[in-house]
Amino acid sequence: MSAAAPRISPAGRILVWAAVGVVVGPFAPLVVQSLAFRWAWPDLLPGTWWWERRGASPVPLAWDYVLSPVSRVGEATLNTVGIGLAVALLALLVSLPAARVLARGRFRGKAAAELFVALPLLVPETAIGLALLMIAIRMGLAGSYAGVVLVHLVPTIPYAVRMLTAVWQGLDGTFEEQAAVLGATRAQVLRLVVLPMLLPGVLAAALFAFLVSTNLFLLTFLLGQGSIVTLPTLLFAKVAGGALDATAAGIALVAALPGLFALMAMDRLVREDVFERGFGG
Amino acid sequence: MRTALLLAPLVVVLGGLFGGALALAVAQSLGFAPWFGVRAFPDPSHFAALWGSGAFWASLGLTLGYAGAATLGALALGTALALALGRAFRGRGAARAALRVPLVVPYTVGIALAVVMLGNGGVLARAGAALGLLADPGDFPRILHTHAGWGVIAVYVWKQAPFVMLVVGAGLAGMGRETREAAATLGAGPWTTFRLVTLPQIVPALTTAALISLAFNVGAFEAPFILGGGHPDTLPVLAWRDFNDADYTRQLRGMAAVVSLVIVAGAILGVWLLLYRRWERRVGRA
Repeated sequence: MSAAAPRISPAGRILVWAAVGVVVGPFAPLVVQSLAFRWAWPDLLPGTWWWERRGASPVPLAWDYVLSPVSRVGEATLNTVGIGLAVALLALLVSLPAARVLARGRFRGKAAAELFVALPLLVPETAIGLALLMIAIRMGLAGSYAGVVLVHLVPTIPYAVRMLTAVWQGLDGTFEEQAAVLGATRAQVLRLVVLPMLLPGVLAAALFAFLVSTNLFLLTFLLGQGSIVTLPTLLFAKVAGGALDATAAGIALVAALPGLFALMAMDRLVREDVFERGFGG
Repeated sequence: MRTALLLAPLVVVLGGLFGGALALAVAQSLGFAPWFGVRAFPDPSHFAALWGSGAFWASLGLTLGYAGAATLGALALGTALALALGRAFRGRGAARAALRVPLVVPYTVGIALAVVMLGNGGVLARAGAALGLLADPGDFPRILHTHAGWGVIAVYVWKQAPFVMLVVGAGLAGMGRETREAAATLGAGPWTTFRLVTLPQIVPALTTAALISLAFNVGAFEAPFILGGGHPDTLPVLAWRDFNDADYTRQLRGMAAVVSLVIVAGAILGVWLLLYRRWERRVGRA
């Protein structure tokens, strides 16, 4: 960065704040709806809020349902987070060594290998999901956690490899050489130089894999076979009819939470330049 | 040797899952389904039945129409936002954070928001009623559940414009501002600077974002399933309906639809790479 960035134009300012309104604004009626007792057409705000009827229910009715075991929201949250953690860990284990090779190695077919890694992002999710479901049914993995975690690896690994390749590229080999020249053993180089320098980037990649996994609907829906519910599949069942009641509004708000937490953590970790280069470039 | 060893986990997992899925889908669509007692491989009749039906082509048209329109919208909006966020203004950090929210929430949340805002009894319709523009929910223009697909496209753009913004923003940051400022100093107007200096710089970022968005939109299921117009459906919904049909032979036709989707995605990727390479040669990058 040289001097300070130039000022924004008035049109640019309008665009940005209008976009912020469109992005964040719709969450407001969702909150309102989850707190409504009765919200009839054509009222802009609920005719009856829950606190006007708090004699009937000490907590908002929708939230009473969302927080009760009947709604399966607790179970879905645990599943979403647990599957996300398992997927992030496995994606790291698979991607970290490969990313090192892609970042540092020179070998024939490297461009082809990079394109191969990107392919799962470029092939429709429905195709991967339906085809893998057939295999999973044959192998008895349909409706199991193992099946869901495995299939989540397909869309998460390409991102993890991309981010980790950038991490390895940022870690210049000269630091390792310097440590070795100064008498460090291989184990010491790994523990004292490589791991601390890799850690922020590795955490960011894990977080991103977690985020992608928690947002997946179709692959979970197909491989989970209805017996494994996550927040996206639970919400899908609620809005599939094309209408949204107060309990669905509550579930939609809960379903947005894992991503929002990840966003806060990620802001300081994620490098955005991993996509700038284009494919196979 | 060491290279092969380090790449092995990736190749086994990705090749096994992704490659295996593709291979089985192709085999099944060509009549390989011994678990149903179907051993007709290779039998092109499922493709013939699918591609011979008008419903398939209507489906393909809808799929490409929604996906293309949404991708173009997201590219235009995301690029404009990335450029605007590169400028200084009060609240830039807050705006940048807020604009990332769609990136991190599931599509089903975006769909729920679309239902609340754009439905015939939704917030926009109520606002119209409050302004005296309409008297009945039925007077509100149909945005959801139509074959025009406004609701589907709205959800895609809502979710993907921030993605484009992020990718293009990263591309712009990598380039620095000097060349753009030089063009302005030399007397180029904002539009000329954008067309001749900025746009060529962000082509790689735009290509990446466009490919990922387009491929996703072509294969997306939940938005067209919930917010679309119903028969004819987009290809993923058509494949899913065939797949869940009680008549198991329909499953093979569903697999043919799945393979058709892959062919469409492959064609898009191929054409794009070809154009991109040609562009690289033209501007002297390769």
